[in-house]
Amino acid sequence: MNGDGWEKILWRDQPFSDNYVPPSFLSALKRNANVQPYTYTPLVLATLSITQHAAVLFIFLSVFIHLHNESLDPRLVVWTCIIGIKTVKSSILVFLALIAVTPVLKTLTEATSSDSIWALAAILFGLNVLLADYGGPAPGPHRLTSVMSMNAAISASVVLASRLKTNLSVFGLILFAVLLFALFPILRKRLKLCSPLVVSSITLGITGVSVAVFGSVTPGGAVLLFCALFFITFGCPAVLVWAQKFKNEIRGPWDPAVPQVWSAVE
Amino acid sequence: MDTTLTSTDYIQGSSGLSIAMVCDFFHPAVGGVENHIFMLSVELIRRGHKVIIITHSHPPNRVGVRWILPCIKVYYIPLRTIASNATLPNFFTFLPYLRPILIRERIQLLHGHASLSSMAHEGLLHSHLMGVRTVFTDHSLFGFDDATGILTNKLLEAALRNVDAAICVSYTGRENTVLRGSLNPSTVHVIPNAVVADQFKPGTEPLPLDNVNIIVISRLAYRKGVDLLVATAPRICARFPNVRFIIGGDGPKLTALLQMREKNLLHDQIQLLGSVRHQDVLIQGSIFLNTSLTEAFGVAILEAACTGLYVVSTRVGGVPEVLPEDMIFFARPEEDDVVRALSEAIYSVMAGKHDPHKAHERVRGMYDWAKIAQRTELVYHGVMSSPERDLWTRIDDGLGRYAGPIFTIILIVDCMFFIFLEWLTPRDHIDYVLDEWDAARFAQWCQHETEKSESR
Repeated sequence: MNGDGWEKILWRDQPFSDNYVPPSFLSALKRNANVQPYTYTPLVLATLSITQHAAVLFIFLSVFIHLHNESLDPRLVVWTCIIGIKTVKSSILVFLALIAVTPVLKTLTEATSSDSIWALAAILFGLNVLLADYGGPAPGPHRLTSVMSMNAAISASVVLASRLKTNLSVFGLILFAVLLFALFPILRKRLKLCSPLVVSSITLGITGVSVAVFGSVTPGGAVLLFCALFFITFGCPAVLVWAQKFKNEIRGPWDPAVPQVWSAVE
Repeated sequence: MDTTLTSTDYIQGSSGLSIAMVCDFFHPAVGGVENHIFMLSVELIRRGHKVIIITHSHPPNRVGVRWILPCIKVYYIPLRTIASNATLPNFFTFLPYLRPILIRERIQLLHGHASLSSMAHEGLLHSHLMGVRTVFTDHSLFGFDDATGILTNKLLEAALRNVDAAICVSYTGRENTVLRGSLNPSTVHVIPNAVVADQFKPGTEPLPLDNVNIIVISRLAYRKGVDLLVATAPRICARFPNVRFIIGGDGPKLTALLQMREKNLLHDQIQLLGSVRHQDVLIQGSIFLNTSLTEAFGVAILEAACTGLYVVSTRVGGVPEVLPEDMIFFARPEEDDVVRALSEAIYSVMAGKHDPHKAHERVRGMYDWAKIAQRTELVYHGVMSSPERDLWTRIDDGLGRYAGPIFTIILIVDCMFFIFLEWLTPRDHIDYVLDEWDAARFAQWCQHETEKSESR
């Protein structure tokens, strides 16, 4: 009830015109009621996953370029991958399967022009970066997007591998791709549980390796890569924190209520 | 209500307007908006206006131009629907149909309904080309944070820039529409829905006090709060063995209800009817339960209260405005609170504290379509006497940095398309409607026919 006698009811005629604007108009409106503003440091820590992923992607690309230029011995790649593996028994099966399909993979897209392959790989890696799951370990099945992300990366590796000249380098590259795009994300999720110091130092390590390896391909590119990774880690969170001042969340009685049901939680 | 008109009802006086109702949602589809348009049209005709309705066709049967009783001409436009009976928003394709209709029917005012109806939006966009004034009624509430809200709100804002007056069905709805359309609140009117009291009468025999039937009639969808119903129904059934649920309606959440009934073995206490006529089900019960999560007005509540049922509802949207506090039990949209409110209502009904016939008479005095039409007519007259905005004002009306230029381009292209159509089919090639519906002649003819068949 207001001072002028107007009430927010429809069932009784009131001595006001239909377009009368009561003083209490929009009084139930709430602005930014449930908004928890982001702070800079936790955002940077959350961004480290993205930095790691980007860095890993560039390590892979550098290795591919070296293999393609035949400036890197494929045996080195294979051995590096094998050293990292602990469960020998189950890995052997994967190795044998991979070796068996290597000649097929090598000639899989021979008829396609290299330009198309570069474009395709770029699109697929773009998908991989966009759809990857950068969150921490969560219960339940994988999200569809993270599975699609992995598939995109493996497909990209397969089409790239078909540009290589020897079977061994194809085998090495695919093995490396499985390691980096299928197994590393699992490790990345586990890392989220470690202390910020551990995560930061690991990220720093990966970034260092990535810049160094990419530097051996193009020194100028490495500088750009470093700048990009630096911007992702420190610039983007700052932009997000700054952009929050434009946040204007409107809530009111017209919003659909969220039903509170206890038995459904079981 | 009495939908037959006498000749005195139909006087096309000088004050009578020619009105076109435009909406995607109309008969043969059924629902709150459809019913609102029909009842409003009938009452406006009774008040001496001429009303036509423009909607999309329902092939294969419902196409072309039809007359529906009492004497409303309905144009079914061959536009394709995409989802839930709405046409694709594309800004231009409606104009070649709309222009000849508005011209040949000499329409002065176009009244669009429902914010998800792109035909209504398009009608509002095109009307100014023919010098037709516009009114828009918004029937629903939208949030600001979900995908539907974000996409439709900008479309609505653009459409409402062209509108001369807007109507909402509740005060909450008006606050919502003003925010979504960035409107001046004094151009938005609140005119509620109404109910045809004669169609919703309580049963003549008093219902037994020891057996309480709880009626639920709603589309079984998430937004209607079926989750709350699924959670509360078994608890109520366990607490009150003499209570039966009668649930009418169909929808995606029907399975959840069936599962709940199966799991708790409640076949004798929960009856699922599917799609049914509201009136037939309502008279069987003494309590009406509405668990909606959002509701602009809630016609179902009003119909139930009119039939003399005690209403238990979640306190959402415009629902608190519809009925006085002593005719309705409110609950928060929480399982425990719905159980509490429902239990209180059951005790109250079992104690015989609720008189259906008294409730019916009270609702009859509250809502009446004739009054609604009268209030709508006032809005129409206000619009007709207000100065018309010229094209430059429309173009100049900023919509924001990104949407603004886009909609300006749409407006200008629309004008050019209109000029092209004026050249393609000039106005003197359009055959104007010469004879309007003559109710007296129709009555005479009907009488003549009956006499003929009787003498046979």
